[in-house]
Amino acid sequence: MKTAIIIRYCEIHLKGKNRGFFEKLLKENIKRSTKDINCTFTTMHSRYLIEDFDENDYEIICEKLKKIAGIHTFSPALVVDNDFTQIEQAVLELCKEKEGTFKVATNRADKSFSPSSMEASMLLGGKILETYPKQLKVDVKNPDFVVNVDIREDGKTFIYSDTVQCISGMPVGSAGKGMLLISGGIDSPVAGYLTAKRGMKLDCIHFHSFPYTGEAAKEKVIELTKKVGEYNGGINLYVVSFTHIQEAIHEKCPEEFMITLMRRFMMRIAERLAKQQNCQAIITGESLGQVASQTIESITSSNSVVTMPVLRPLIMFDKIDIIEIARKIDTYETSILPYEDCCTVFLPKFPAIKPNLDRVIKAESKLDVEGLIAEAFTKIEKYVL
Amino acid sequence: MIYLDNAATTKPSTTALNKAQIYNSEYFFNPSGLYSGGLKCAQHIKEAKQSILKNLGSTSHEVIFTSCGSESDNTAILRTVKRGLFVTDKGEHAAVYKSFLELKNNGQKVEFIDLNADGSVNTEELFDFVQNNNVDFVSIVHVNNETGAINDVNAIAKKIKTINNKIVFHVDGVQAYGKLPYRLSQDVDLYSISAHKINGLKGVGALIRKKNLNVAPLIIGGGQEGGLRSGTENVFGIKVFQYAGEEKYSLIKENYSKITQIKNYFINNLDKTIFKIISGENSSPYILSVSAIGLRGEVIMHSLEEFDIVIGNGSACSSKNRYSRVLEACGYTPNILDGVLRLSFSTESTLDEANIAVEKINQVAYKLKGIMNK
Repeated sequence: MKTAIIIRYCEIHLKGKNRGFFEKLLKENIKRSTKDINCTFTTMHSRYLIEDFDENDYEIICEKLKKIAGIHTFSPALVVDNDFTQIEQAVLELCKEKEGTFKVATNRADKSFSPSSMEASMLLGGKILETYPKQLKVDVKNPDFVVNVDIREDGKTFIYSDTVQCISGMPVGSAGKGMLLISGGIDSPVAGYLTAKRGMKLDCIHFHSFPYTGEAAKEKVIELTKKVGEYNGGINLYVVSFTHIQEAIHEKCPEEFMITLMRRFMMRIAERLAKQQNCQAIITGESLGQVASQTIESITSSNSVVTMPVLRPLIMFDKIDIIEIARKIDTYETSILPYEDCCTVFLPKFPAIKPNLDRVIKAESKLDVEGLIAEAFTKIEKYVL
Repeated sequence: MIYLDNAATTKPSTTALNKAQIYNSEYFFNPSGLYSGGLKCAQHIKEAKQSILKNLGSTSHEVIFTSCGSESDNTAILRTVKRGLFVTDKGEHAAVYKSFLELKNNGQKVEFIDLNADGSVNTEELFDFVQNNNVDFVSIVHVNNETGAINDVNAIAKKIKTINNKIVFHVDGVQAYGKLPYRLSQDVDLYSISAHKINGLKGVGALIRKKNLNVAPLIIGGGQEGGLRSGTENVFGIKVFQYAGEEKYSLIKENYSKITQIKNYFINNLDKTIFKIISGENSSPYILSVSAIGLRGEVIMHSLEEFDIVIGNGSACSSKNRYSRVLEACGYTPNILDGVLRLSFSTESTLDEANIAVEKINQVAYKLKGIMNK
């Protein structure tokens, strides 16, 4: 008796003639993710199968599958030959530690197999009751769990019950490529995760202001980016030195526009880098009205300097819901480490909450925007994570 | 590089490392081994203990080697007196402070005595408390690791024992051993020290205890260190600790006056319109705490990295919290706490380095002040 993992997708089912493209991508993503593990990977109708792995690798494989966009669920299964005695043994093994009500559902692709599906379910159910009379009862209408017996044409039978929910979405790479603005906060990693989950491959850009923020702040961003990268099949992080831009804005422009102008520089740099890296969109963790730089007026101001689509997956999310996802993807605890990503030295006491675009542009005219951006591009560090 | 964070850790002494190298080759044996190599290692550990006691001028104590100062503090505080009233002060290192919180969580009574502005213990309040309560255990730091304030622990111990002879008195001596000329008094029951603060290695500490004082082990197993600290001894680390300690004590007074000069150079030359000196006049020369008032200490620290100058901000061990718990207890306001820098020296520090460092610290502070006061 061997163990296998049956993998299922969801939304790809809705695809028409291009379904093959998505299936192929998902298959490649699963294979790449499990390439360091000794196992075999096969395709069966709309499902994938991982077999022949060391028992000790089972948990590792499961953890990887839970992070692959496009996988809806998977089930650990016992695999035996199409032989009723072996099937019976496997069914009993599966039910060994179970309690409550159950039913057996047999699916017989191999129609030459005897007994029939109905008969097999009855016989197996009877055997289960006989073996575990105290812990299990039959309930065909509303059982606590279903024992699935899948008798296939290739001579193998799969017996499974548990189904593990995964992140669903679409295979990474199926929806183009985007540049995520990542800070050390809670929101941007969540925005990245949601984007990768919908199939967009990510690169990340981070703005670092040494010495106003330290190495620890950068390390924290690297750590967060790595975690997002687990959903992205690895990830590239570009760290841009933002110090001189911050200093120049601080020196020459009205204090109230500090953040507004910073955001405009960030968007410009992100767009240029995005184009260099063949990205088709910019992604931010903005959530409407969360802070001064995320009011509709502030967003208008920062959006107006770029032409590339800006995707804001969290725009209508409440903070509490963002935190819930951050916990789920294990970025929350890192995000709340107290290394600041924007030094309070530059934070205005009263930032413009509804910046007037004309006044912003006038304030910005005091700066050598092109020169500052060009300088920033000379100081980009790339991390392959 | 100009390294001024020696209260966090020091560079291991090359002389001591070389001298102890034999314990990684010829004498690699397990000191519990009953063959001659093992017995020799055990003998050499014994010599290291005698050396430490000699440095501290005591014949009434004995040494238990541990893995660090924190382990020594934990053992002293959590494993000597089982229950009762435990007293310490608000200026302790986290290893002591959190041990007291642990005692509190376990239902023991604990008391934290206030500090003076320089970080030393308010002894009046301490003695008053001991006088009016049935205290079982007292722990006081010898040199405050953030301000350098020296507590006269022998005098405190004597006074406390006069009030109540049964009180067990522990001293965290991690920032004092190898630095202050000091003779361990018989009134001090337990004294914690650490190797890497005096050019030894990380991973070695010691708890010095009064002979016959009952201490229960924190780590049990093979029964090493007389059953008080199991685990195969780190012979190499222990010998480096011994040799580094001997280097320090052979010149302890000379070093003290040399480091005092360096510290005074900083005090006299840091721009007085920006910096407030937090360390008191009688503090350890090895630690200088200053505040760039209204500025951000962390930004100054990072700015100095560009000039290859390393300093500490607050205490490296607790850099996750915005303000230093200890300096808050000294009564400082946020604009001073924000600007705190800790410069700490070792016997390798020089006046030439101080000269360069002062200039750069003033320079980056001016720049930051210009930005923040725009």
